[in-house]
Parts: sequence; structure tokens; C-alpha cells
Amino acid sequence: MKQDGLALFTDTHLTALGLMIFFGFFIGVLIWTSLKANKAIYKKMEQVPLIDDGEIS
Amino acid sequence: MKNPELHNETILEKILYDDDIVKKFLLATLIWAGAAFIFGLLAALQLAWWPMNMNLEWVTFGRLRPLHTNAAIFAFAGNAIFAGIYHSSQRLLKTRMFSDVLSRLHFWGWQLIIISAAITLPLGYSQSKEYAELEWPIDIAIAVIWVVFAVNFFGTIGKRRERHLYVAIWFYIATIITVAVLHIVNSIEIPVSFLQSYPVYAGIQDALVQWWYGHNAVAFFLTTPFLGLMYYYVPKAANRPVYSYQLSIIHFWSLVFIYIWAGPHHLLYTSLPEWAQTLGMVFSLMLWAPSWGGMINGLLTLRGAWHLLRTDPIIKFFVTALTFYGMATFEGPLLSIKSVSALGHYTDWIIGHVHAGALGWNGMLTFGMMYYLVPRLWKTKLYSEKLATNHFWIATLGILLYYISMVTAGITEGLMWRALTPEGRLVYPDFIETVVRVVPLYWVRALGGFLFIIGFFMMAYNLYKTIKAAPAEQSDTEAKVPIRHAVFAQPDTKEGHSKLEGMGTVFSVLAFLAIAVGSIIEIYPTLSLHKYITPTNLVEPYTPLELAGRDIYVSEGCYTCHSQQIRPIAAEVLRYGKASTIEESMYDHPFQWGSKRIGPDLARVGKKYPNLWHFQHMIDPRAVTPKSIMPSYSWMVEKDTDFITLRKKLSIMKYMGVPYDDDTVANADIKAQKEALAIAEDLKANGVNIAKLEKKQIVALIAYLQALGQKGKQP
Repeated sequence: MKQDGLALFTDTHLTALGLMIFFGFFIGVLIWTSLKANKAIYKKMEQVPLIDDGEIS
Repeated sequence: MKNPELHNETILEKILYDDDIVKKFLLATLIWAGAAFIFGLLAALQLAWWPMNMNLEWVTFGRLRPLHTNAAIFAFAGNAIFAGIYHSSQRLLKTRMFSDVLSRLHFWGWQLIIISAAITLPLGYSQSKEYAELEWPIDIAIAVIWVVFAVNFFGTIGKRRERHLYVAIWFYIATIITVAVLHIVNSIEIPVSFLQSYPVYAGIQDALVQWWYGHNAVAFFLTTPFLGLMYYYVPKAANRPVYSYQLSIIHFWSLVFIYIWAGPHHLLYTSLPEWAQTLGMVFSLMLWAPSWGGMINGLLTLRGAWHLLRTDPIIKFFVTALTFYGMATFEGPLLSIKSVSALGHYTDWIIGHVHAGALGWNGMLTFGMMYYLVPRLWKTKLYSEKLATNHFWIATLGILLYYISMVTAGITEGLMWRALTPEGRLVYPDFIETVVRVVPLYWVRALGGFLFIIGFFMMAYNLYKTIKAAPAEQSDTEAKVPIRHAVFAQPDTKEGHSKLEGMGTVFSVLAFLAIAVGSIIEIYPTLSLHKYITPTNLVEPYTPLELAGRDIYVSEGCYTCHSQQIRPIAAEVLRYGKASTIEESMYDHPFQWGSKRIGPDLARVGKKYPNLWHFQHMIDPRAVTPKSIMPSYSWMVEKDTDFITLRKKLSIMKYMGVPYDDDTVANADIKAQKEALAIAEDLKANGVNIAKLEKKQIVALIAYLQALGQKGKQP
């Protein structure tokens, strides 16, 4: 079973498929993070280290 | 800037941030930085002028180099990371650390680990796995203290008063999870005695696990935590928000996902299966994108504030750190291309590359962070901005000298090693010719390191004066933060990635999955080592005396200068013999392929020279190789070989699958003594006159060296 699995490491179609899945996932995340609805949230989050962290003294 | 949401809250309470723990880690950073840098300078001088080894076993290059690397990574960078994480996390999560007791346990435990390393490594207690040399009791201590840190950190996330986790916190999460996984998996070993162990992995397994660990120690100890610090301190120092928050999301996920796959680029052209090498190379090339995304995000944070680069030394340090980060992360994938690796691997180019990252990225970012933190934490002003600016310039000059000299030396070595005459012979058949050629560059490197250290001492003095001028009465910073209930009373209405940022546990699990995918796909197949072995190429295990000699080889850190892996490259085969096979290191616990050739490869040195040659070479290398820069190992004719533990050692090896028969295990010490006697007789017959020579370490080491490349079935 394991031997069969290892044999597939040289199957270029399968490795190409793996690449497509990873790349497709990456493009998906890219689109997801680019959604317009997120812009206002990013605007707020990027201020987190700059806004008053409550320090009094 | 005021936080409108926070100040609209009606329910605020006063808390104290734990500044004391940050101060402790900062001072520890300062102390260990000095030690790490001085060890490095001494090691650099030893390569430029061998008498700097001082004929003392404890500071010989093979033992000093791991001391330097461990001190630089775990003592200097480690304490710097902890200082920055403890400071920024409290402010980003708007709460004091989860537990003061755990914070102090973490601090003192880590310092104790460093001290243990500083004692054991010079004494020769080493596993000879790069950046994982420490022996098993210290490995356990590291795991325990890391868990203490993790509990404290995740506990702090659990009691936070800021719903959403800022990008810096994500990088800290990835660091804590991944370092734990790397350390535990790579440290699975069987103890032989209180301070010696054998890793359960052998040969290509050990090589792959070690470089999965080694590469990701760079990724998740020297990169992700520092990126977290960058995402906090660069906006703070420039008083500008990060250039693109969206880019930081893409930067984070792609970096943690891709980095973990890249380890095999340290093993290109070795006997590691081709598919693993290709995976390592391809994912290394992919790293260009997230690495440069992060660098651009950091640098462009300064948009509209570039004038600060002229006036503010902290910004100077940060910008230079990011520039070196960009340069080193461009060069890393470049060196991972097989044809470039063929030239650069085993040479000083790699040393230059590593130090562009360590000195330029980690060093300069830490210095900038220290100049930022010390005056604020001690509630005073920096003693001298001018001194800080001078530190910046002298350190930058030092790094450039270091980097340029080592890249030049590396390319010179690579070209000389592969140079062939039109008739197909080596142009430089004597390895020493290639060493002598780069020694002047070793002096330039030492000068670069010296300048870097001068700069460091300028900073130490500056910070000392700053702290001395601080108000005598020091207290923790008081902060007014919303009570937790008020923050979490309303349901999270955010969407997309920001929703995830409000779920610490889910986020951590996803980060773990991101690093688990590559780890499992790469490592799991090689756990069935026998699938890759050709039965006709099987080798014999080491004899008891050879194993005793191997332990001495491991203990002395010979891997710091000698590889044991001949690549299938024409010039290499001409110089050292046929390319190494998987089978030849299948019983090697640990593997000793090495990563640097300051001296020649030793994979097939066995039977190349008579015993007497090895004897003379170890006592005085220059007696047989004029101009050699190798240290003298005179103590090997004085110290006795440890025959007593050989039965136990062989039984452990047998347990791990090395095919020793019961008789060999039961009589390991007697057999070893017989072997030793034969070698000692040969040496005596050739004029060596030392009492009880057969008991001495030199004999066991000679037995091991003579066995290298000789264990296969002869055609």
C-alpha cells in the first residue's frame, strides 16, 4: 500500500494536479482577501499597534 | 493616537503590563549577544590562522562552531524574540501576561538551557546535528520550557481584551507551534548515557528530518518571530500603519505553508530521493513571492516617512534589516536551484548567505528594537543618538565586508573544486590549494565580524548609560483597558479573515495544519527507508572499535569542516570517488553528511592513507599537509577510548535495526580492544612509541576513518 503510494510520487499528472490544487487555493485566498467588504476592517486592524494601547504612565 | 472604540467603553480598568520580564529578556539578549559574537570572531580567526585553536580541545573549531551557532540562534536571537513578544503581545492583546510565574520560569529555564549548552558543547557533548547539537537532557528541558512559554502565550491570548489578533500575533502563534513540532520530531533519540544519545533516524531519514528541522529553525525561529516583531515595531517607530494589511494576510499564510517544504534544498545532489530534492527546490523558489511580499510590506510602511531614514537611527536599523531580509530571501531560493547549488553548496557562499540573514536581518532588527525599547521601558531618553548612528554605520560596514568576502571565497572554492583540464583532469587536485587561496578572505571576514562587534559594544555602552540615567524608581507600565466582558459581550459581526482573527484556537489549528501538510508529505515516505535500498548495495555495520571512533568523530564536531557525501558531479567523482549511495549511510545514527567543506570530503577516505598518515595528521596536520588550517588533536593520544559502554551502544544500535549479531553485542568491548591492538601494533611497527597506545582515542578514530567508504560489498 505504502509502496503503491510512493510509486505515485513520480506520476507527473498527479503532481501537476497537486500543484493546480495548491495554486487554485492560493488564488481563492487572494480573491477572498480582496473582497471590498474587507477594506474597512483592514483599515481598522492596521491601526491596532498605533492606537493608544491604554498606557497611562 | 486614541482608540475611539476603547474610549467609548464605559467599563475600563487599570492594569499593569509586566515590563520587568521584558527588561530581563532584553538584558539577557545583550549579554548573550556579546558571547555569541565573540565566539564567532574567534572561530573566524581560527580559520584565518590555525594557532588560534590554542591547542585546547574545548575551544577547537569543531566544538566552538556549534557553540557560536547555538549562542547566536537560541541565546541572542531567542532572548530578543522573547523580549519583543512579551512586550508587544501584552500591548496588542491589552492584557498582562497570563502568568508571572510562567514568565519567570520561562526566563530562568531558558537561561539555564543556554548555560548548559555553554558547558556541554565545549566539553564535546554533541549530537553533531546542526543547530540541534545539544544532548538529550537539554533537549527535554527545551521542550518543557517551550511548553511553559506556549501555555503562557496562549493563556494571554485567552484572557485578551482585544477581540482581533493583529498580524504580529499570528506570526508568534506560528513560531510557537512549529518550533515545538520541529524540536520534538528532530530530537527523538535513545540515551546511551547521561550525556550521550543516538537519534532514532539514520542516513537519509536523519538527513531529511535534520534539514527539515534545520531549515525551518531558520524559518520559524529566525524569520517568523522577527516578522512579527517587524509588523509591530516598524509601524510603531515610523508612526505609520503597515503598508497593506491584506498583503500581510497573504504574506503570513503563504510563508508558513511554503517554508516548511523547503528543507531538502540543503540536500541537493545527495543520495536523498530525487522527488524530495525537486520538492525542496520548487518550494524554495516559491518562497521568493511571500518573502518579498513581506519585505515590501515592511519597507512601504515608511511611505511618507522616508525622511526619518536620515534622522532616526532606529529607522536606519529597521530599513537595513528589511533590506538584508530581502537580499537573503532572494539569495536563498537562488542557491536552491540545483545548478547553482552544485557550485555553492559546501562552500563559504552559504556562510555569507547565512550571515546576511543573521547579522543583517536578525541583528539589525534586534538592535533597532533594543534602541526603541530600552528608553521607553526604563522611562528615560537614549543616552546618545549619535552613538547609535555610529553603531549603525560600523555594523553595516562590518556586515558588507563579511558578506562580500564570504561570497567571493565561496564562488572561488566552487570554481576551483570543479575546474578541469581539457584532458578531463582536476586543475587543483590537492584540496589544500583551494583552502590556501581563500585564507586572505577569512581575514577580511574576521575584520567584518570585528567591526560588527565594535558596533555592538557601542550599543551596549549606550544602553548602559541610558539605563544608568533612568529614574531610580522603576515600575511596570500602567494601562487603562476595557474589561474582557465588555469586549466580548457583543457577537463578532466581522466577516472574512477578520472573523478568523477573533478565533485564537481555530487560527492556531489552521496554522498547525499549514505546516503539517508539507512536513508529512516529505518525511513520511522516507520513514520506510528500506523501500529505497538496493539489496545488492547493502553495507556492513561498523565494527565495535569503528563505532567508538565514530563517536569521537561526532563528539569533536568533524562535520563542521568535512562532509561525507560525494555528489554525482564529474569533478567531485574525480576528486573523491564514486558518488555516495543511500546504503552507505543507512546505519549512520546520526548521519554525518555535513554541510561545509573547509577540508575535503571523507566519505571514501578509508584505506586511502596508511594508519601512520592518519596518526601524524591528527597530531600535527601540517606534518603531512603543509599549510593545512586544521587544528592539532594532540589530546587524542592522551585520552582513553570508552570501551566500557560499547556493549550498550551496540545493543541500542541493534534495537534500532543495525544488524549486529548477539556475539558482537555481548563481546563488543573485547572485540574493540582486539581491533585496537592490531592498529596500535601497526603504528608501533612504523615508529610510534606511546605507552598503551591501543587504549587511546586516536586508534579508535583511525579505525573509523579507515572504514569510511569500505563497508560495501567489494566488486
